[in-house]
Amino acid sequence: MEVSVIGSSQVNLGRVNDTGPCSFSRNLNTKISIVKSCYSKRCNLGKSQNLVCPSRSTLGFSLKTSASANSQAVVSEKASRTTKPIDDVNLYVGLPLDTVSNSNTINHARAIAAGLEALKLLGVDGVELPVWWGIAEKEAMGKYDWTGYLAVVEMVEKLDLKLHISLCFHASAEPQIPLPQWVSQIGESEPSIYFTDRSGQQYKDCLSLGVDNLPVLDGKTPLEVYKDFCENFKSSFSPFMGSTITGLSTGLGPDGELRYPSHHHPVKSNTQCGVGEFQCYDKNMLSDLKHHAETHGNPLWGLGGPHDAPSYEQSPISGGFFAENGGAWENPYGDFFLSWYSSQLICHGDQVLSVAAATFKDVPVTLSAKIPLMHSWSKVRSHPSELTAGLYNTAHRDGYEAIAEIFSRHSCKIILPGMDLSDEGFPTDSHSSPESLLAQITSSCRKHGVEVSGQNSSVSGSSKGFEQIKKNLLGGNAAVDLFTYQRMGAYFFSPEHFPSFSQFVRGLNQPIQSSDDLPVEDAETVKSLSATKLQLQAA
Amino acid sequence: MSVVTTDPRFLLLHHHHRRATCFKPVPKLQLVSQRRLPFHLNCRQTPNSRGNVGTRHSCPLNALSSSGSAVVETSESSDVTFRETFRLQRPEKLEGKITIRLDAEKNEEYGQLTVGCNLPGNWVLHWGVNYVGDVGSEWDQPPLDMRPPGSIPIKDYAIETPFGRSPTQSEGEVFYEDEESGNWYQHRGRDFKIPLIDYLQDDGNVVGAKKSLGIWPGALGQMSNVILKSNAADYKEDDIVESNLQKRPLQGFYEEHSVFKEFFTDNVISISVRYCLGRAKNILFIETDLPGDVVIHWGVHKDESKSWEIPPEPYPPETTLFKNKALRTLLQQKDDGCGSWGLFTLDDGFSAFVFVLKLNENTWLNCKGDDFYIPLTSSVVTDNDSGLTHSQDEEQLKDFGPAEKFNDTSDSNQAGPTYADGIINEIRNLVNDISSEKHGKTKSREAQESILHEIEKLAAEAYSIFRSSMPTFTDTNLSEDEDLQPPVKISSGTGSGYEILCQGFNWESHKSGNWYMELNEKASELSSLGFTVIWLPPPTDSVSPEGYMPRDLYNLNSRYGSLDQLKVLVKRLHEVGIRVLGDVVLNHRCAQYKNQNGVWNIFGGRLNWDDRAVVADDPHFQGRGNKSSGDNFHAAPNIDHSQEFVRKDIKEWLCWLREEIGYDGWRLDFVRGFWGGYVKDYLEASEPYFAVGEFWDSLSYTYGEMDHNQDAHRQRIVDWINATNGTAGAFDVTTKGILHSALERCEYWRLSDEKGKPPGVVGWWPSRAVTFIENHDTGSTQGHWRFPGGKEMQGYAYILTHPGTPSVFYDHIFSEYQSQILALISIRKRQKIHCRSTVKIVKAERDVYAAIVDEKLAMKIGPGHLNPQTVHKTGLWPLRAEITSCLNESMPGFKLMLQFIYLSILAVYAEFARPTFVTVLVKLAGNSAPFGTQVVVIEG
Repeated sequence: MEVSVIGSSQVNLGRVNDTGPCSFSRNLNTKISIVKSCYSKRCNLGKSQNLVCPSRSTLGFSLKTSASANSQAVVSEKASRTTKPIDDVNLYVGLPLDTVSNSNTINHARAIAAGLEALKLLGVDGVELPVWWGIAEKEAMGKYDWTGYLAVVEMVEKLDLKLHISLCFHASAEPQIPLPQWVSQIGESEPSIYFTDRSGQQYKDCLSLGVDNLPVLDGKTPLEVYKDFCENFKSSFSPFMGSTITGLSTGLGPDGELRYPSHHHPVKSNTQCGVGEFQCYDKNMLSDLKHHAETHGNPLWGLGGPHDAPSYEQSPISGGFFAENGGAWENPYGDFFLSWYSSQLICHGDQVLSVAAATFKDVPVTLSAKIPLMHSWSKVRSHPSELTAGLYNTAHRDGYEAIAEIFSRHSCKIILPGMDLSDEGFPTDSHSSPESLLAQITSSCRKHGVEVSGQNSSVSGSSKGFEQIKKNLLGGNAAVDLFTYQRMGAYFFSPEHFPSFSQFVRGLNQPIQSSDDLPVEDAETVKSLSATKLQLQAA
Repeated sequence: MSVVTTDPRFLLLHHHHRRATCFKPVPKLQLVSQRRLPFHLNCRQTPNSRGNVGTRHSCPLNALSSSGSAVVETSESSDVTFRETFRLQRPEKLEGKITIRLDAEKNEEYGQLTVGCNLPGNWVLHWGVNYVGDVGSEWDQPPLDMRPPGSIPIKDYAIETPFGRSPTQSEGEVFYEDEESGNWYQHRGRDFKIPLIDYLQDDGNVVGAKKSLGIWPGALGQMSNVILKSNAADYKEDDIVESNLQKRPLQGFYEEHSVFKEFFTDNVISISVRYCLGRAKNILFIETDLPGDVVIHWGVHKDESKSWEIPPEPYPPETTLFKNKALRTLLQQKDDGCGSWGLFTLDDGFSAFVFVLKLNENTWLNCKGDDFYIPLTSSVVTDNDSGLTHSQDEEQLKDFGPAEKFNDTSDSNQAGPTYADGIINEIRNLVNDISSEKHGKTKSREAQESILHEIEKLAAEAYSIFRSSMPTFTDTNLSEDEDLQPPVKISSGTGSGYEILCQGFNWESHKSGNWYMELNEKASELSSLGFTVIWLPPPTDSVSPEGYMPRDLYNLNSRYGSLDQLKVLVKRLHEVGIRVLGDVVLNHRCAQYKNQNGVWNIFGGRLNWDDRAVVADDPHFQGRGNKSSGDNFHAAPNIDHSQEFVRKDIKEWLCWLREEIGYDGWRLDFVRGFWGGYVKDYLEASEPYFAVGEFWDSLSYTYGEMDHNQDAHRQRIVDWINATNGTAGAFDVTTKGILHSALERCEYWRLSDEKGKPPGVVGWWPSRAVTFIENHDTGSTQGHWRFPGGKEMQGYAYILTHPGTPSVFYDHIFSEYQSQILALISIRKRQKIHCRSTVKIVKAERDVYAAIVDEKLAMKIGPGHLNPQTVHKTGLWPLRAEITSCLNESMPGFKLMLQFIYLSILAVYAEFARPTFVTVLVKLAGNSAPFGTQVVVIEG
């Protein structure tokens, strides 16, 4: 049972955040006082109960049942305890993407050793290590080489840091980490294993979800290969499972995210981000679409993707498919196509997650996977960037419910990037609202009981970005209990960046304001509030 | 025995220094060896035993079997799982005496000074004289007739005299500078100073001075207790200067100083571990040849944890429990009396045996700054695994090296592997303590400071390595910012204009014989500290070990290392993004052969010039060239640059250095000695990236006090730069001199000239001024013109925030000032202060100086108060009202803390730790610029 109280305005909260020497923490005390302030300003609780709804335009605060049950105790404890426990949010830092080189050795090991030690001293809880398919199973199917990764895990273990492993079934352009050689070789003779766009251009950094269940890899299906990979990983790293390795995430697509590579066209800097393109033109996807259209009774709809969709760099106005009014996305064809397109993605996610969940069910690690934050154009009714990426989320359809549902079914956490992005960071004409999209997704997750881990999307190191992360971690939004900062490297440790990062870490660990700073009557209010809440829950 | 004939007109100086980064002085030591290590000593592991466990096994099994109780256990089946021999270095001290005797001749015109020492070794007396009426403590070379045979002149201010065998003291040779160990001995951290003239107003601390006050009635004394008296007070130069009119004739005296020579004795400790399968026990045998009582301070690691635990009994004999944290076992003496041994039996289930050695209350031996770590086998672990763990752990130990300092400052008895956790707890406490406003009570500030320092260092290290392997990253980053910056114009006088120079050596650097390799290891650190240019020592074959008396210019094997090592170093420095300046000595050159008159003026090597290459106006060297175009340096033949062939050869040589070694530019030695126009010629031919000349002459003084107006002095430097056509910068000696007076005497008004500009070269030609506060001559172990002690950070706050190209001296980089220097450099970089930045002096009064640089950096030095509001009124300092009030809070530490950027946190710690020396760096919040206005405040 949950109760959400809708805050009065974000601006107001932002100001509180600025002036306080200590920013909001996830500590219950703060939460209650925020709720209290909202309450005293304009809400009455009876009303607020009705206001419970996932809303993108207002900021929601929630108090979980478990939390409220403890609130009494915490309130009484407050006077004696002015510092909050530090480990409320687990903070991780991602290791460089190329930590382990193509030849299975550790790249700049000394730097990483020093870096790990610095992080440890700073109080960071753990690190994230990308484990690449293209490195560990580079030469031939079933021929695994974990030496480089094992060495890293041992380094991390030595420092008594926790480790989150990201299994990457995709390739990376910068730094260049390809798919396994033997997969690329297959791809040369069988290009349909890659995602393909309308113009026939392939995206060779991960396999198309259209081949998930086809025995294209020397007689095995990609899913089987993924499973073998996971199994072998599990047995090779079994001594560390649950002790050093506490979390695992499995890649679901491009950059590990559950999406189509709709934006893979090289983006020119400073030009506005286009809407991207649908990626359903490989042989298998097309045939599935055709089949689907036929069963749907509209065989003509299955000949390809929307003909009037804009191209990569274009704005949604072009083409007409995403037109704000009367665009095809809103008509039955649009719904037919988008439903199919997104269900393919969800089905893919479901299958990969079930492989991972089945493999790792008997080890004490938290399983998670990443979904994208396609925030550009999210203020446009059709959410075109999300649609091309396969997330059927529009002004009148919540596309994240279904995703949260499959994550929930596999007891898998969602990794959500973009925790550092704020609406202010984007010009109004970009129609981008990362904050509201983030709020929408977290609310879907909450609804399905899926826990969220946060990540940042850029390493700008600007104080704004850190403020935003802090807000997302410590603010009223309590969904995030683990945050992975991406990512270690030269810039990370540079004098331009590292000081602000370390300040950020300290900020997270800062205690909440001591009780003396709160008005005297607060305790009363809080008490009565929590009492009321309990009643509400009973009701 | 060295005998020097003295003339009463001179004041003789013995000259011995410690490094600026000196270790803590030890009471009772009057002569301090600069290389002395703190009591925690390091052991080096025998190289070939590493990774090859068991081959070099010096642990005698026979000793084991002869040791009673051990027999039973070893007779069972057991495997040696670990064997290691560690090398230990144990300090030993030899005490000796330095004797100083001055014999006055009857006619009172001459005296004989005898300096002796009774410790063995090859000693060299490094000395100079002060002339009567000389201002300051600058050294001068004694006149020729005063130099004993065999003396070697060192530049133009000192000579070195090797000690001969003593005719009267049969027990040994006499010496001061020990050539073997490279140690310097000096009198209470300063030069020995022997007055050759008596002063009535002498303050009585000069060596041997008391005699004039009647304590010693003239004749030679044999009392050594005068040492105590000579320690009584610091001498004051001023007194000497003022009293010089009342001189009295010289009187003889004799005295002794004790001297400690410390050296390391190599010992070994061997450890072997056997795993006894039948009884599931590890049997550990330790043997050492250390003499005397050796106590093993030990514990065990359980599982993966790094904390010391106490294993269950039984313990070996002579074991005591220490504070419930560790066990102490006295090793048993071996039968033959040389060394001791111990046997430890440990149950299964421990992952490692850790220990340190305790020789006496103050002397501990550890392994490279950390505990000895002996992995133990438990039934699961195979032999291979234990070997692996060990070597990896060692790497880790090495990484943790700096944490030793942390252990030192706290109770050294608790030295244990728990420090990593400890540090983290400390950090947490730190955060809690600060925010809960309890700073007064917090314990071990220093420890916390060192943690922050440690994080910073590690981050810097990681950064430099990452950066060096990913050069493209920063490039792409820069290209985005580029729009804002005007294109950087490179000229040899300024480099890019954003250079920060590091003087990469001191006066002692030649002593290791391996300096290039030592610097090689520091390259990435220097880069991460922010230096863009490094000045390396003179590379050529030289008569003096420091390299400033060059002989064969094409022979680049020097005391600093070989040609190949130099190339490796330059390559490495380039890799980490640092340009390299070669120190080229063009003014003079030492000859290899004598001419027909027996004068040394014929050169050898590839540039085999004859006496036509030597200037004509120095009678000592009978040159046949033209008259010198500058001042003469009298210790070596001065080169006549007006000769076409000389210039051609020098140009070729410079170009060769550029190509062969990869030097990017030059530091030009003693450019006072020849016309700047020749320098221009050389620079145009060799096209350096950056060049700086040393034009060093004296500032103007009136009645012993430095003049406010030093325009004449800076004019001479500017004239030289002008003669080079601006192709070279010059060290801003003027600024250094003015900083001396301003900081030492609290006369901050000196820091503004009559036109409200900086009073040094930097005020007139900032882009060509290379500002510095210390170099190998002024500071280091020479100390010819040492920057006022304790004021160094104020000096750096000045030069690193002001225009000009700042140069930081090696000794300061690797000193306790490092973090603060780093902070200042980062600010300089972040605020993009460059050599042409504009300065607006806000205040230059008795006790405070404040300036605003480029309208984006405010700095203040001096103890005086600076009201931010007054600065605000200038309209240049966009201070917000609430920040101003924060600054005025009685407890600034807390509130400001929240606004601080990371770097400044360190500085706040400096504030807590040393209330008299405050460094506060503030980032003003709320400023829309990415890094806001930076404020540097350094109180005097």
